[in-house]
Amino acid sequence: MEKTFLGFKRADGSVGIRNYVLIIPAQGNLRMLAQKICDFVPDTKTTYFPWEIGRSKADREVMARTFIGLGSNPNVSSVLVLGIEGAGFDELKADRIRKGIANTGKRTELLIFGKDENIFNAMEKSIKIVRELVLDASSERRKPFGLESLAIGVKCGYSDTTSGISGNPVVGKVFDEIVSHGGKAYFSESPEIIGGEHIVTKRAKNKEVADKLIAAAKGFEDKALSVGEDIRAINPMPANKEAGISTLEEKTLGAIMKSGSSVIEDVLEYAQIPQKSGLYFIDTTPICELYIGLAAAGAQLMLFQVGTNAITLNLKPDGSGGIVMPISYFTGNKETYEKQQDNFDFNSGPLFDNIDQIDEYRNGLLDKILDLCSGTKTKVETAAAYQERIELYLQDPVF
Amino acid sequence: MEKGYSQEKIIILHLKDNVGIIKKDVNKGEKIVIEEEKFKNTIEVREKIPYRFKIALKDIHAGDEIIKSGELIGRAKEEITKGEMVHVHNIEGLRGRGDLKVKNKETL
Repeated sequence: MEKTFLGFKRADGSVGIRNYVLIIPAQGNLRMLAQKICDFVPDTKTTYFPWEIGRSKADREVMARTFIGLGSNPNVSSVLVLGIEGAGFDELKADRIRKGIANTGKRTELLIFGKDENIFNAMEKSIKIVRELVLDASSERRKPFGLESLAIGVKCGYSDTTSGISGNPVVGKVFDEIVSHGGKAYFSESPEIIGGEHIVTKRAKNKEVADKLIAAAKGFEDKALSVGEDIRAINPMPANKEAGISTLEEKTLGAIMKSGSSVIEDVLEYAQIPQKSGLYFIDTTPICELYIGLAAAGAQLMLFQVGTNAITLNLKPDGSGGIVMPISYFTGNKETYEKQQDNFDFNSGPLFDNIDQIDEYRNGLLDKILDLCSGTKTKVETAAAYQERIELYLQDPVF
Repeated sequence: MEKGYSQEKIIILHLKDNVGIIKKDVNKGEKIVIEEEKFKNTIEVREKIPYRFKIALKDIHAGDEIIKSGELIGRAKEEITKGEMVHVHNIEGLRGRGDLKVKNKETL
C-alpha cells in the first residue's frame, strides 16, 4: 500500500507539515516589535537573528537568503515582512525580502514604518494584519501526499559507536526510500566528511559535485590548520570520546552512514533551495547553524540522530532551533532512549544487538516520520513555545 | 549484515578490520570465540572494556594503520596487544592536525 502523510499544499507545489505565519523583521531594530506580535497572536513565528550592523556584504547576503529561504519554507502559510523607511542595507531591504518570498506564490505582506511611527502604533498596524493571516491559515486543510512530497533533513550528534551501526544507517535507508520515490533529503556537517571524502565522492552526481564535496571538507580542515588548532580537541568532542569514538575519521565514517546510498545531486550553499528532488549536501557546520540552514533550504522536518546519552539534552530539549521546521530526536543507543524517552520519538537501539533487522527499523522510522508530518508533534515540539536565539552561518568578522 | 560479522559480544564491520566493537561490557580474562570461517579468531580480553568501545583483533605495532569498517581511522601510537582496548590513549587520528603543522614550522 502506498505510504502517505497529510500536509498543506502550497502554491509552488511544495507541501507543509505545519502551518505557521512568519514575521520577518528586515532590520534588527524591528526584532522586538516582531516578538511582541508573536506574543499576542498564536501560531506565529519570528526570525530572532543576530544584528546585521557591522557584518560584511557577503554575510548580509547570507542573511537575506536565509530570510527568503525561511519565508519560502513549505511549513509557512504566509509572511509579514517589516521594514523601516529609508533604512537598511541593499541586501536586506524589506521589499527585496518580500519579493524573494512572493516568488513562491504565497501571500507575503509588507509594512514599512516611517519617522512618525513608534513601537506601539506599529504593533497595532502589524497585529491587525497578522491576525487576518492567522485566521486564513487556520481555514486551510491537510490533504494526503506521497513520499515524493517529503523534504527531510538529518543531523547526527553526541556520536558514539552505536551511531554508525544502529543509528545513522537507519536514516540512510529511509533516505534511500524517500529519494527513490522522488522526494528530497538533506545531510550536512562539513567537518565530519574529513577522512571520508573518498566514500562520498564516489556517490557524487558528477566531477563538479565531487570537487565541491572535497572543497567543503578541505575548507574546514584548512581553518583548523590555519589557526594551529588541533581539531582533535574540538572534534571528536569529549562526549564522543567518553562514548568510544577515538578519532575524527572514525566519527566521520559513522556519520556518513546517515546519507544512505543515493547519488549526491549537489552541494548547496547555506540557505540555497534545491529545485529538483534528490539527496543534497549542505556545506555548513555541524552545530546550531545547521538547523536554520536546513529550514531555509526547504526541509519540512529535521531528524537528530543521537548517540551517547548527554545530560545537555535533558537540560535543553530544543525544539525551536529550526523556527518553522520541527526537530525530531531519535537514537540507536538503547541506554540513551531509556534515559530520555520524554525527548525521543524513535528507538533503533535494539538494532545494535541484531543488525539483520535493519529493514524493520527503516520501516518503523519512515512510518514515524509520516506520522510527525501529518500533525503529531515531535516530543521536543511540546517544549518549543520558547524561541531560542538563532545561530546563522556567518563566516566573516564583525567590524 | 552485508560485509561484517556480529555475535553476542562483538561486531566486526569488515574483513579488513583490525578492531572490533564490543557489544556489552567485557572483563579481563573473558574469551571471545569467533567460529565463522572468514573471521575465525579467539580473543582473550586483556582488560575491562565497556560496551561501544573497540578491541584489538590482533597484535598492532606502533605506527600501524587502524582499520575499521574497511577504512583507515587512525594510527597506533604504541604497541597494542591482541585483546586490549583501542582508544585515544593508544591511537591517534591523522586528519585536521593543526598541532602537527605548527610543530613543523617551529623546527624549520
